[in-house]
Amino acid sequence: MAEARKSMIKIKPKKFKVGDTVKVDFIVIHPMDTGLKKDKKTGKIIPAKYIDNITFLFDGKPFTTMKVWETVSTNPYFSVNYKVTGKGKITVDYTDNTGEKNSKSKKLKPKG
Amino acid sequence: MERRKFIQSMLTASAVAATVTPVALMAKEEAKKAAPKGPNALSIDAAIDAITGGKGAKDSDKVQLTVPEIAENGAVVPVKVHVDHPMEENNSVKAIHVLAAKNSNSRCADVMLTPANAKAYFATRIKLSSTQEVVGLAELSDGTFIKAGKSVKVTIGGCG
Repeated sequence: MAEARKSMIKIKPKKFKVGDTVKVDFIVIHPMDTGLKKDKKTGKIIPAKYIDNITFLFDGKPFTTMKVWETVSTNPYFSVNYKVTGKGKITVDYTDNTGEKNSKSKKLKPKG
Repeated sequence: MERRKFIQSMLTASAVAATVTPVALMAKEEAKKAAPKGPNALSIDAAIDAITGGKGAKDSDKVQLTVPEIAENGAVVPVKVHVDHPMEENNSVKAIHVLAAKNSNSRCADVMLTPANAKAYFATRIKLSSTQEVVGLAELSDGTFIKAGKSVKVTIGGCG
């Protein structure tokens, strides 16, 4: 864990019940360098640095795994659906190609 | 008479020059663009072969791909893939793949889904180097592959 990245998990809609299908949005501040661009000041190529593996977990159980490449935009955004089964914690683990590991969690509180 | 001939020849020569140079330049630029580069360079056919194991994918209406018709900024192009298929234990969408045909690395994202997702849906934002086709490819639990493609016009490319 080199540095803590800013990231965010959003559940849409805000109010939901057990059995509802919600959208889980995950946004992270990350450069996603392709390894093709040149630094305008120094003229050197910026080395590739992109997120390559993402796992969405609910209470430690993975429900969606992703493999992504540098073709995903800077500050990437990923959205998947999830059927709420009860109270718990949604965690997103992600690693990038330089071996940087991070994780972000959010509590899931269904009402009713 | 000589002066007239001279001027005529000058005109034709300049016209020829004017038509030849841009074409030559364009060809050069295209050659530059077409050259695959980067550590993960992969063409769309190779990518589809790698995903499907050489089986290929059928075009289907079940894959609903939502992309803008014209993207002003190629660095941020929103893509939504929705597969009209049930998500049950033995009859589900296993994976959704997002591909961009003309990027040097055409693979963008592989999303492995489980029945806990309830709906086969995935959204993200991708980079597009130029005007090209974006393909959404879905793997079903019975081992078949379905796909849908849509072309996106890109005003400013975003792949460095």
